[in-house]
Amino acid sequence: MVPLILRILARLALGLLVLIALAPILWTALGAFKELRDIVTPVPKLFFTPTLDNFATILGNPTIRDGLVNSVLVVAASVGIGALLGIPAAHTLARHMRRRGDDIQFFVLSLRFMPPVAIAIPFIVIYLDLGIYDSLGGLILVYLVTTISTMIWLATPAFERVPPEIEEAAAMEGCSEAEVFWRISLPVAAPSLFGALVFTFVLVWNELLLALTLAAQNATLPVVAASITSLGKEVPWGVINAATVVLVLPPLFFIGLLMGLINSMIRSGGRTKG
Amino acid sequence: MTRQRFILLTLAPALTVLGLLAAVSTAGAVWFSLMNRVLGSPDYEFVGLYNYLRLLRDKRFFNALEISLIWELITVAGTLVVAVLLAVLVHETVKRALWRNLICFAFLAPVLLPRVAAAFIWRFLYSPSLGLLNWIVGEAGLGPVEFLANPSLALVSVAVVDIWQWGLFFTVILVKLLETMPRDPIEAAMLDNARTWQIHAYVTLPMLKGPLISLALVKAVESLRSFDLIFVMTGGGPGTATETLDLYAYQSGINLGGRVSYASAMSILLLIVTTVAFTLIWRASRKWSR
Repeated sequence: MVPLILRILARLALGLLVLIALAPILWTALGAFKELRDIVTPVPKLFFTPTLDNFATILGNPTIRDGLVNSVLVVAASVGIGALLGIPAAHTLARHMRRRGDDIQFFVLSLRFMPPVAIAIPFIVIYLDLGIYDSLGGLILVYLVTTISTMIWLATPAFERVPPEIEEAAAMEGCSEAEVFWRISLPVAAPSLFGALVFTFVLVWNELLLALTLAAQNATLPVVAASITSLGKEVPWGVINAATVVLVLPPLFFIGLLMGLINSMIRSGGRTKG
Repeated sequence: MTRQRFILLTLAPALTVLGLLAAVSTAGAVWFSLMNRVLGSPDYEFVGLYNYLRLLRDKRFFNALEISLIWELITVAGTLVVAVLLAVLVHETVKRALWRNLICFAFLAPVLLPRVAAAFIWRFLYSPSLGLLNWIVGEAGLGPVEFLANPSLALVSVAVVDIWQWGLFFTVILVKLLETMPRDPIEAAMLDNARTWQIHAYVTLPMLKGPLISLALVKAVESLRSFDLIFVMTGGGPGTATETLDLYAYQSGINLGGRVSYASAMSILLLIVTTVAFTLIWRASRKWSR
């Protein structure tokens, strides 16, 4: 009898934990469709007449629309350039640089240890002196540190997993290094590379500190969202909830891909990485 | 195209950009930290180590250092404890692959949320007058709890959000790692009539020592990037109860009069401390995981 009760208890606990994991997100999504008077109630309301007003407010607000455009531009450019420079470098590190590759990889990884403030503060002064403060280009340049290093860090193991035999066979056929990379390694490693791309995208899409310090006037979406609370005296909770939902949607879209990335990392590299 | 030129062409652009940006920001921070520059005023002069000496007498700086340390400890330990307990629970209670995958999906959702969004979600939940949590606390007969306005609760309340995001994420990784473990030692322990918790405490978790140490290291690095969460949830307050080093550097460098030189000195110290600490931990962890 006792084991049965224990097992039921364990399942209940698990159910509760899944609820704890998801409830905050669901509650916010619910709040995004509420009118303010449905939010400001002593007893939380589960049933109410839904409204799209909050989303209309957001999409009608020029600051938020500009934030969305800025975010898309900055993220597309920095992730794009990061992939363009990082992926070939990762391939070379995985294939042609057996000896010095480790040192370079450690250098790349050590950039992730750098506190973001230590990057932000000198660049504020430098950008002010150069007159490119508050520009999207300046922000993209600084984001390259994150995107290139993350791409190299995640793409190198992806290329190491490409079976060397296929590459050698192609080289025997007379393909140059560039052709081997473009025709063989890139397509074979593509699924893992896509995961790396998505991870980099999420990192930059979510970034606040550098965007806040280097381009406060050309704000990206996280900066706009962070400043909504200080609009006026009455806190527009419905609008905040709706803004949160808009901010959350693109990364959540990739949840399946992240799962795939974890699976492939653990299956192939669990032991050596560990 | 020769092999040498191909290597140079693929590697050089990426490493040049990275090297230049890293060198410029580090050299810039060192250079500005030796001046007395203030944003918005054109005059400044060389003051040597004055900023560093002033830091050593700054109580708020040492407070921020202490908060940063506490933050690292709470979040790294909390994340690992939550992840280990939950992973074992999932591993033992959910045997069907479909259910397990669904649970993993649910646990992955929080970490994908932008930190700003996660901060808003929880600020809403914590709110004393209209938050869901305070309603539950109220129903239980305890008065409204000021999760974010009470100096002794604020840091822990923010850390809960961090652990909510990362603990559940690491749970998924550990569940997958437990699945790929060799079965033999576990079956041997089962033959010896070991209890489930004994198997995990003495067999599976010691086998996962290496990955666990790597996860702790990753989390320690990530915990340094807590600016977004704390900035949106408390802004460092109440008072300076949740003001970590990066928050203080931001406040003094940008918000309060823009004393960039002073903030540069602070970020250089931060850089030195983290580099030394992580190099030491990195070396030590290599030794332990062997």
